[in-house]
Amino acid sequence: MRNLYLFFLKYKDHFIFLFFFFSSIFLLLQNDNLNIYIIRGKFSDKFSIISSPMAWMRSMSRLELETKFLREKNIQLSLKMESMLNQNEEYKSLLKLLKLKEDSDLELIAANVVNSGSSSNLSSITLDIGKDYGVKVDQPVLVPEGIIGKIIVVGKNSSIVQIINDASFRLSVRILPSGNAGILRYFKDDICEIRELQKNAQISIGDNVVTSGFSQIYPKNLPVGEVIEVLDERGSFQKVAKIRIKSKISSLSHAFIIVSDLDKID
Amino acid sequence: MIKKIYIGLGVFFFQFILVDFLSIKMIRPDFLVIYIFYFSLINGRYKGIILAFFIGLLSDFTGVGSYFGLTSLTLSITAYLIGFLNGKYERLLPYVFHSIWFSILILHFFIISYVQFQTLFESSFFDFSLKFIFTFGYTMMFFFVVQFFFPVKEASHAEIS
Repeated sequence: MRNLYLFFLKYKDHFIFLFFFFSSIFLLLQNDNLNIYIIRGKFSDKFSIISSPMAWMRSMSRLELETKFLREKNIQLSLKMESMLNQNEEYKSLLKLLKLKEDSDLELIAANVVNSGSSSNLSSITLDIGKDYGVKVDQPVLVPEGIIGKIIVVGKNSSIVQIINDASFRLSVRILPSGNAGILRYFKDDICEIRELQKNAQISIGDNVVTSGFSQIYPKNLPVGEVIEVLDERGSFQKVAKIRIKSKISSLSHAFIIVSDLDKID
Repeated sequence: MIKKIYIGLGVFFFQFILVDFLSIKMIRPDFLVIYIFYFSLINGRYKGIILAFFIGLLSDFTGVGSYFGLTSLTLSITAYLIGFLNGKYERLLPYVFHSIWFSILILHFFIISYVQFQTLFESSFFDFSLKFIFTFGYTMMFFFVVQFFFPVKEASHAEIS
């Protein structure tokens, strides 16, 4: 027994390494475990308190720039609104004619980005609202430019968002105007690729990419990005399209969570 | 020892709070690996692995999309391997010593980059290599700055002297 104890003592560094190595592997394999989510949620609450002042300072430093941008946007939108009001009237009359049900609006909650983790590559952001505001796991997160991710961990007052550039993020999308659907995943920088596209799909550079609505998480027709390249390899049965996501993920300060029930939206 | 843990926590909070300001094209420097590197080199494998695991875990708790546990895994591996160099500077040829720690840091960033950019690795190895070099290079830039104040050579035989 004593010899065994001395053996462990002699090689304690190797044993402790093996223990932590397998603990880390275990944690990696337990990523979808509910208990892990609960613990992460609780930690996220604590860390968001610490990073809130920094987020506030960052937000203040961008305020002047944002105000200028909003003024310009305001003028543009006023002009657009005029034409849209006319179009809306026309739309309503057409809708009545076709006796179609009017689409219900998305219910959004605004949130501040309080931190974006500390790993060397950005793959998540933390928002300053959680369960108390009705946030749940798997709710979509977007910015005016389009979808940026989904909620994966919810704490009382904070939530972690798996953003579009996480390696395991997948999104069912549709390319307009052709209507071809595929699966989007992150490629590099602000570029994603869409796979599972039909070989005969008619896709052009500049086509818009929106959510397909096939998913249980994302409502349909939310903007995602724009096609920048189409790859059609001879030996492949599918086409691959590369798209540029419109949202500036590296400098997010605010985001919106869609809290509406997907069934009600449809 | 307690002081070193506090320094570790200080580095962690520095990384957590300020790393966003140093972010370039979504690539951020990894100060945690620099700290764990020096800590293991000075204090050896045993203490290094324990600190690396818990600091890695803290880093994962601050927010990762998926792959929760990856930071603790890579930091533990780095601490374990760097620990072999503890007090070895005078026993190894300098270029061998420097090549070993450099390779260990390459391995650390390769694991992280491979997991994070696996799609890129499959489809374009060149783009992946660029991404990996930038991720690695950006942290190494800070690492070399630290070198001026606290060279690896000194850190390695700090316990002997």
